[in-house]
Amino acid sequence: MAANKKKTMNQKHDRRTFLKGAATCAAAGSALIASGCNNRPLPGGDDEMSVRWKEYFKKNYQLMTPEEKEATIRRLEQLSKLDYDVDASIARTEPRGKVLFGYAFNITRCEGFMDCVQACVEENNLDRKSKTQYVRVFEMENGQMDISTGNGKYFHEVPKEDHFYMGIQCFHCEQAPCIKACPTKATWMEPDGIVVVDYDWCIGCRYCMAACPYWGRRFNWHDPEVPKEEMNKKQHYLGNRMRKKGQMEKCTFCIQRTRNGKLPACAEACPTGARVFGNLLDPDSEIRFVLKNKKVFRMKEELGTDPKFWYFID
Amino acid sequence: MNVFKKVIPVLLVWGGMLLAFSGCEGVSGHQDVMELIKAADKPVESMKPTEALPSAPLVIVKEPYQGGPFYTQSRKSEIGRFQCSSCHTGKDVTINQAKEAAHGDIKLFHGAVDDPNACDTCHNLSDRDYLGTDSIAKIDFDHSYQLCGTCHFRQKKDWVGGAHGKRVQNWAGQRVVQNCTGCHNPHSPRFSKRWPATFSLPDSVLPDQEDEG
Repeated sequence: MAANKKKTMNQKHDRRTFLKGAATCAAAGSALIASGCNNRPLPGGDDEMSVRWKEYFKKNYQLMTPEEKEATIRRLEQLSKLDYDVDASIARTEPRGKVLFGYAFNITRCEGFMDCVQACVEENNLDRKSKTQYVRVFEMENGQMDISTGNGKYFHEVPKEDHFYMGIQCFHCEQAPCIKACPTKATWMEPDGIVVVDYDWCIGCRYCMAACPYWGRRFNWHDPEVPKEEMNKKQHYLGNRMRKKGQMEKCTFCIQRTRNGKLPACAEACPTGARVFGNLLDPDSEIRFVLKNKKVFRMKEELGTDPKFWYFID
Repeated sequence: MNVFKKVIPVLLVWGGMLLAFSGCEGVSGHQDVMELIKAADKPVESMKPTEALPSAPLVIVKEPYQGGPFYTQSRKSEIGRFQCSSCHTGKDVTINQAKEAAHGDIKLFHGAVDDPNACDTCHNLSDRDYLGTDSIAKIDFDHSYQLCGTCHFRQKKDWVGGAHGKRVQNWAGQRVVQNCTGCHNPHSPRFSKRWPATFSLPDSVLPDQEDEG
């Protein structure tokens, strides 16, 4: 009896048995994947499984050749049709030379109408279920400078007496703590100063979220939900293309708009003209006029993050 | 001699490492933003936006900004019954129910509370197709900033420079900005109170204010 028992114990740990078992499991697993997913054909003659496979094992966006970028964009457009039934056109517009984007926010003019937030949600395909918002507007008492005393959840007629409004979003810091915190190099700064995320390279560890002193990053706890008819089809690989569960996202200065010369959605929507956007390297630009002629400050400047987002007063 | 032989390679390695690490500075970003801005003092050729502006009549503003001439939107094309002189011929208007049909409903909330503006503070009484007064200047409706700027000169300076008002659609390309009346109702220029377009933030994404405040 004892010998028999010993024999079975040995068998259990036998290398050959283990490998056999592993091989069987792998075969069963792949069979399960193949039967569990519909392997639907895609426009262009590819089939779903091979497209998803290639998407899963693609490189970091920064390391891709232009051809590889084109290929992944084509795959993402195919999958957008499959997953959301939307004919998205995903761009990969590169940064222009001699452009460094900067933003200024007029705290005298902002009256808290939140049109910017609404425009941002619609432009950037933000999750409607969890009400993800890149822009936050805080209602602050006059004279108060500490944003943590502000009310971020006000909902009454605005503007309220003796209060002013202060919007925050990603400040696209030149010394961005979020970039330093990322363990996978899934987030970086583009040459035109926009801090971007390669959503497909993000492992969802949320270190960047913890590192950001401005609460600039958002995490997807589930797959974002955007009604098909409301989805913005003009997308950018580093911008408003659909994210997935477990990926980090953030304001990209509307990269899909600004790299084509348009204003970010928040600046265009602002009814009071409190938002100034432009090229910091152009001495004639509006943003440079603000920096030169108005009283400006940056939030938590003492941290040395060197944000490209200024507040100013009239 | 032996001591030197030992020290020199150590020094060399140490110096090499110093050089290598000093070369690594600024890997994550550019240099200081303010330095970059100060260094960029030459005009740059603005990129062309890929999307053209919605076709609306534009006028060239009579005062250039720091980057040269710029444009604003025409106002006359927005006024439904322009020209005004088609009714205001210099005699009394005798059209039936003209007050109801035209602009008799306008209420003025402009100027000091105890000393509000009148129509002829801004409108030219002797030539109704123009703003301004004879004593100052006749001002075209398309160039209303000239009139607004007589009182709001600070705002006008900021508007010309770019700190007040907003551009139309594009940050790049030819500069086109909203005119004063693009955002403000001239008869009631302050934005009226209203409900926000959306409300903010579920708890899960709010900064933990109680901990910090």
